[in-house]
Amino acid sequence: MAILAVLAAWWLVTTVGMVSPFILPPPAAVLEAAQRLADGYLGASLATHLEASLSVVLSGYIAAALIGVPLGILMAWIRPLAILFEPLVCLLRPIPPPAWIPLAILWFGIGLTGKTFVVFISAITPCLINAYVAIKEVPPYLISAARSLGASNAALLFQVAIPSGLPMIASGLRIALGTAWATIVAAELVVATAGFGFIIMSGYRNFESAIMAVGMIAVALIGFLMNLIFRKIEKHVIPWGEHE
Amino acid sequence: MVAAIGGSGSRPMDFNQSVASNSVRYEDVSMLFPGNRGAPPTLAIDRFSLDVAESEFLVIVGPSGCGKSTILAMSGGLATPTTGKVFLGRELITQPGPNKAIVFQNFSLFPWKTVVDNIEFGLRLNHVAAEERRHRIDYYLPVIGLKGFEKHYPRQLSGGMQQRVAIARALVLRPRLLLMDEPFAALDAQNRTVMQEELVRVWSEHKPTVIFVTHSVEEAVFLADRIVVMTRRPGRIKEVIDVRETAGAQHWRARPLDQVMRHNDFQDLRARVWGLIRDEIVIE
Repeated sequence: MAILAVLAAWWLVTTVGMVSPFILPPPAAVLEAAQRLADGYLGASLATHLEASLSVVLSGYIAAALIGVPLGILMAWIRPLAILFEPLVCLLRPIPPPAWIPLAILWFGIGLTGKTFVVFISAITPCLINAYVAIKEVPPYLISAARSLGASNAALLFQVAIPSGLPMIASGLRIALGTAWATIVAAELVVATAGFGFIIMSGYRNFESAIMAVGMIAVALIGFLMNLIFRKIEKHVIPWGEHE
Repeated sequence: MVAAIGGSGSRPMDFNQSVASNSVRYEDVSMLFPGNRGAPPTLAIDRFSLDVAESEFLVIVGPSGCGKSTILAMSGGLATPTTGKVFLGRELITQPGPNKAIVFQNFSLFPWKTVVDNIEFGLRLNHVAAEERRHRIDYYLPVIGLKGFEKHYPRQLSGGMQQRVAIARALVLRPRLLLMDEPFAALDAQNRTVMQEELVRVWSEHKPTVIFVTHSVEEAVFLADRIVVMTRRPGRIKEVIDVRETAGAQHWRARPLDQVMRHNDFQDLRARVWGLIRDEIVIE
């Protein structure tokens, strides 16, 4: 409903000529720009742009999940590890991921490695923190119940704490995916030769606001779809959870 | 089976020779909780000594904070007394384990496990063979009235059903000692009555020794062989009442609760136990 209202207002405002099409391109122009993009924009097809953004997001994100989740779990389970890593996590956390971009360029150049690094940094925090809290907040009565049933320490971790924390770990992974996506777009705004951030920035540089708008809409749709797919998987993997 | 009850004056050696394997002995058990932030420590249990016979159904009642649940935790190996010892048969209780199964007030089911997986978990942890696991589960599912709910998750069940799963999860291990910490307190009155009767039925099959903690005097009188009334903190034994003396040859629990409730002896005993507890309640 709200989406329809915004679309209607957009169409109305641009059609009656209240704002210049340069400041806010009319829907028709954006559709036309979308067509141009689909046919290939700035020497790259849509698939190339998609691949450029998604490959970086996925590699950075998967690395963050593979390191962040186990590290968070271990920090919650083994107290000395928490003491060791907590100050580091707390200090690095307030740095917004895009602020790492200049450093990443300095270290890795303007290629994919630098962007993957920034995506990794952005995604690891939610993975780690949610995994940590998920294990810390395993209800003590479940631990007591499992111990009285004869659970060893290993069984407590793998068969009680981790499954108990899985819903929260999963929501951390979902948040991380959103953060990773937002971060790659930001990184592409700064340095890129393809990808959706690059499309938005090119639109801006070439005074083509319709291209800019298409880029933004594409970013929104892809982010929305990723979230949707993730939720579907989550529901499948965690059938006991309280899904709305 | 004859249950040997070691007298409180018996020497350790005599005790070791005459002890029945599923009896429980509390030897001068005290529990001191350290105070937080400079507060003085709290003595929760003060020299609790008691012998519980094999297959006895012992119910502990007392005012809030009298240490009932602490006694249960120590019996289950989840807490260690500051001084004194708790024995199950000849074995000094030092850690939790499947021979002393616990049923908790909040059910404590594993939300990610189905009914069957919850019941099976303890068996798996203790490496019971697959065939035996299936055999025991097939036995208990109809007993607890949950046939057809095997694949349900706990959140899909009512409170009464959840607690039946928790009881089955404990009984399926064939524990020597069954510890129940206000297991029916979270249930409504109707469910509670039904569950008390069902517990008696299920328990009668193998008769593990039971230590049952409750706030409900009626529940205590109905279920118990003996009732231990505790004082307010620091928890001591105020009185031990043998219900079998008033219930006659048959236990109260062998009859439906609504019939038993109309019995004068039942009501008298209930009034007596309640009187003992009321004296211990201080309004602060």
